[in-house]
Amino acid sequence: MEKNVRGTSIVKGLGFNSFGIGSNACTVDIDEEQDKILRIRPFHFDEHYTADELNAWKIEARGKTFEPGFKTLISPLSLSYKKRVYSKNRIPYPMKRVDWDPAGERNPQNRGKSGYERISWDEACGLIAAEIKRMHDEYGPEAILCEVDGHGETKVVHAAHGSITVLLDLCGGFTLQSRQPDSWEGWYWGAKHIWGMDPLGQNSLQNNIIKDISENGDGVLFWGCDVETTPLGWGGYMASRLCKWFTELGILQIHISPDVNYTNAVHADKWIPVLPNTDAAFQLAIAYTWIKEGTYDAAYLETHAVGFENFKYYVMGGEDGVPKTPKWAEAICGVPSYTIKAFARWWAQHAVSIAHCNGGSYIRSCFAHEPARLEVALLGMQGLGKPGANQFKMLEWTLFGIPTVTPLPPSTVIPNIGAAYRGYITGTKPSFIPKTKIPEAIMNPPVQWYGHVSAGLPREDQFTGPFTFPAEGKSRIHMVWSDTPCWETCWNGGFEMQDALRHESIECVVIQHPWMENDCNFADIIIPSNTKFESADIGTDSDSGQWNVVFYEKQAIKPRMESKSDVEGVGEIAKAFEKFGGIYENIYERYMGGKTYDEWIETGFDTCGIPEGAMTFEEFKEKQYYPFPTREDWKDIPAGLIQFHDDPEGHPLRTPTGKLEYYSTSLAQNFPDDAERGPVPRWVAVSDEHHERQSTERGRTYPFLLVSNHPHFRVHAQHDDVTWLREIETCKVVGPDGYRYEPIWVNPIDAGKLGLKTGDIAKLYNERGGVLGGVIVTERIIPGALYQDHGSRVDSIVVGAGGEGLDRGGANNLIAPTACTSKNTVGEVTSGFLVNIEKVDVFELAKRYPEAFERPYDPDCGLIATARVEQGEE
Amino acid sequence: MGKVFVFDAAQCTGCRNCQLACKDEHVDNDWSPIALPQPDTGQFWLHLREKVRGQVPKVKLAYVAHMCQHCDAAPCMQAAADMGRKDAIYKRPDGLVIIDPVASKGMEHIEDACPYGAIFYNEALAVPQKCTGCAHLVDEGLPPHCVDVCPHGALRFGDEEDFAAEIAASEELIEGSGAKPRVHYLNLPKRFLAGVVVDLEADEVVIGAKVTAENLDTGEVLVEQTDAFGDFWFHQVAAADWRVYVEADGFMTRAIEASTKEEDRNVGPIEVFAAMA
Repeated sequence: MEKNVRGTSIVKGLGFNSFGIGSNACTVDIDEEQDKILRIRPFHFDEHYTADELNAWKIEARGKTFEPGFKTLISPLSLSYKKRVYSKNRIPYPMKRVDWDPAGERNPQNRGKSGYERISWDEACGLIAAEIKRMHDEYGPEAILCEVDGHGETKVVHAAHGSITVLLDLCGGFTLQSRQPDSWEGWYWGAKHIWGMDPLGQNSLQNNIIKDISENGDGVLFWGCDVETTPLGWGGYMASRLCKWFTELGILQIHISPDVNYTNAVHADKWIPVLPNTDAAFQLAIAYTWIKEGTYDAAYLETHAVGFENFKYYVMGGEDGVPKTPKWAEAICGVPSYTIKAFARWWAQHAVSIAHCNGGSYIRSCFAHEPARLEVALLGMQGLGKPGANQFKMLEWTLFGIPTVTPLPPSTVIPNIGAAYRGYITGTKPSFIPKTKIPEAIMNPPVQWYGHVSAGLPREDQFTGPFTFPAEGKSRIHMVWSDTPCWETCWNGGFEMQDALRHESIECVVIQHPWMENDCNFADIIIPSNTKFESADIGTDSDSGQWNVVFYEKQAIKPRMESKSDVEGVGEIAKAFEKFGGIYENIYERYMGGKTYDEWIETGFDTCGIPEGAMTFEEFKEKQYYPFPTREDWKDIPAGLIQFHDDPEGHPLRTPTGKLEYYSTSLAQNFPDDAERGPVPRWVAVSDEHHERQSTERGRTYPFLLVSNHPHFRVHAQHDDVTWLREIETCKVVGPDGYRYEPIWVNPIDAGKLGLKTGDIAKLYNERGGVLGGVIVTERIIPGALYQDHGSRVDSIVVGAGGEGLDRGGANNLIAPTACTSKNTVGEVTSGFLVNIEKVDVFELAKRYPEAFERPYDPDCGLIATARVEQGEE
Repeated sequence: MGKVFVFDAAQCTGCRNCQLACKDEHVDNDWSPIALPQPDTGQFWLHLREKVRGQVPKVKLAYVAHMCQHCDAAPCMQAAADMGRKDAIYKRPDGLVIIDPVASKGMEHIEDACPYGAIFYNEALAVPQKCTGCAHLVDEGLPPHCVDVCPHGALRFGDEEDFAAEIAASEELIEGSGAKPRVHYLNLPKRFLAGVVVDLEADEVVIGAKVTAENLDTGEVLVEQTDAFGDFWFHQVAAADWRVYVEADGFMTRAIEASTKEEDRNVGPIEVFAAMA
């Protein structure tokens, strides 16, 4: 049989940042005749453009050359995406919970337990429209909580998140679940107060840092940073190549973390193991060593900092009588004092930068603002901004469209297709609740907090408020509509969320999603969304580190089963509204903005930044992409913070004084009694709400600190059903019952003591409940700590908070603390918290919980969509 | 012109793109006459194997790609011939070894002939299967999918002549197999021996100490110095019993024994004692 082995080549952005900001450009070969995807492979920038047209950059240093290459460095999460499209966990058709009757008994308590029946799109949309209308009439629009903030595909005209809000904005509004900076909590809530750096809190002046380190750097610290994991959903392997480049140049790479992450394991020159969330003690001992030995840059601090004397006073023990010596730190963080001193001296003698990839116990635990501020305090003590000494990120190189957050040579334009984006545009809404406070807001209103919580707002916003939900005279939440159904497995204290979704006040839960996972199992009505392979769209990739590019995303295959894109699905609901008239009149036309999908794509093309006259829309669809060349002047862009370093008055920071604030005047003014986040960064052991230290009373009952990084084989909750990933020996642990359990890493010392061996199934637990996992005895985690990635799909054995909750899937966010980072912040605490571990007998559990253990299951795919369908299955 | 693969373990970061690309290319895709579809799971025409090396705090991962070696003296071809089914497995002029999906129908147990464990029997289709070198792509002038997606050039494919230097420096996955494999390996992981030298009395690491490792099996002697953190590393050493001597100015010499026979070894802190004046 003669075959066209290449097929028809199209372009798809296979990044997973959930919004319109694309990444991970891939070429996809399709077989149009058979309506199938053949393969996914790298996208080639040079297919239609020459190296000269791209103004191809290279970095030359120490007699060596680094070039970006002309094809994208795609990641396993993109490469295996075909399995996500064809997953057995795809929701096949609209469904309704069998015991939810809008005209009668709604049985909210059965959410998460009862099954589903197949219904038609017409019936589903009719029910949803009627429920929304009823909310409007009985409670007001604020009673509808919209969860539209992510952990899904990156799409534009067919946006995966937020088309709900486009519709509801046309008929009265809604209450927004407001997503906090969940991947970079500590920097947002802490580092900003020492160095400004809006909106992220991480360095927002990263241009040319890679070139600078290549020329001037001696070392790079990876503080919990996993280059081989975290960038995979939004950038691919350029960051991994940079680690190789540093090795080639002899730039020392030092990893500081409780675990041997995938980067540490292959790139590190040295690993300094530290107990989870004790980095602040380690950092203070470094500062102590420098102060004691006079090896910090006192002259720099004179001109670049305020409040250093306050910090020094605290470090040397003036404030609390406890000098923060290496011996003091050793007892907290587990790093030998001789290593702390040697490391401090090496740092003081070299040009050292810090690399970050978000995530992990370092930045997502209680009081995470303290290590984040201390990191900047240390950088400042060694002349932050001097050649080779900066902070930079290994991902999100154009986050929020900011041109100064790329450390690599930038392209001329960061294309912006916001004009075509049909989802929710980040911003503020009159009625909103921080995502971390949703369970409390549903079950126990009113709730109060500070700040608008939109992940990208200036430092000052943290002092606005307090805000209250519900607002005076407005309704509490009575309906939840989500295109973001991963709260349980990605946020703080998911068992509480299970209770919130089952609360008597919640009359209706609507979820739209491509896959039957996590919060979907708590829905009353489910409508099937589809993947980006099933519709045409426009996309961008500005995070490859190579060249920014806009591409036309041709439809690869027909929509699978009864699915529609999120935007189309919500459009069907809009149509169902029209019979009500009034504010709903002509709402579909208004929702579509008077354009067809193809016209929206054209709008994106027209406004994205492609120079006028460069190509027509037809040419764009034919060539399928337009790349933006490297900036002509890229070598002249000042590197990192060199301008602040050279001229702090002329190039001030965005702090109130324009300088590094070792004493934050605004924290002192706004929260004078805050012992968790005081004006001077410090070691905080415990607080009223957090007792997550091994040295506490709780630490005797729950003696292990759990490390939960961004997952290696997933993007948060995504990809957990990819058969080709799940069969990798270290992705899941096959239990004696054939179920694939989420791994728990246990050090051989702890395993020996506890009688655990590789392949055992164990329960991680604390007073908030338990989750199961498969034991891997390994040297990749230190004694006293356990490791389990976050984001595994929830597979409830016992639902709900109160301590009895039990999950088979290993979704450890279920047992994370519900309390926020600290009392005046709304960050999540999802790593570095106390647990215990014990071996379980899965056959015994199966006898005790037959319903959960007998649910249909496919070991290759894991949970499958039809497992809970009771009627109408075909 | 003969084709070869080159795998460099020192360049591999374990991303598994190669393993996944093989699935992407061959699962649900029928590339007859080269190959029928690969089963979705459980069989790996290319398998990236991972090994954790060392002990806290000196721990590394090593990865090695296992696949059909496209041997010039292929034991599978010999076995097929011995079974009177010579046509079932053939070698192309470019060196790639192909199991003919029609001629090999029903040939169970041929996988036993492969010393590399690279052949799998597809029960559903009743054919033995393995890496084809993506011959269907190679014939179109395209690289094998696994090679195309390797971010570091750790897995490469091309004309034998172009890889002369690599082939000269390479080793075989199984030395002495006699199969004349066409997959050439560089920097396959051996063992490391590492530790840290400390003066606990002073609570300091010892920088610049001379560390000598004597292979007690062969008498080979290796020398390193401790770095700024007091650490020493002997990379790519033999699996052997060792005596490790630590010498530093002002300290009495210490010797300890350590073994890398079973696994890589972090000997941990070696305490040295200040010499009396």
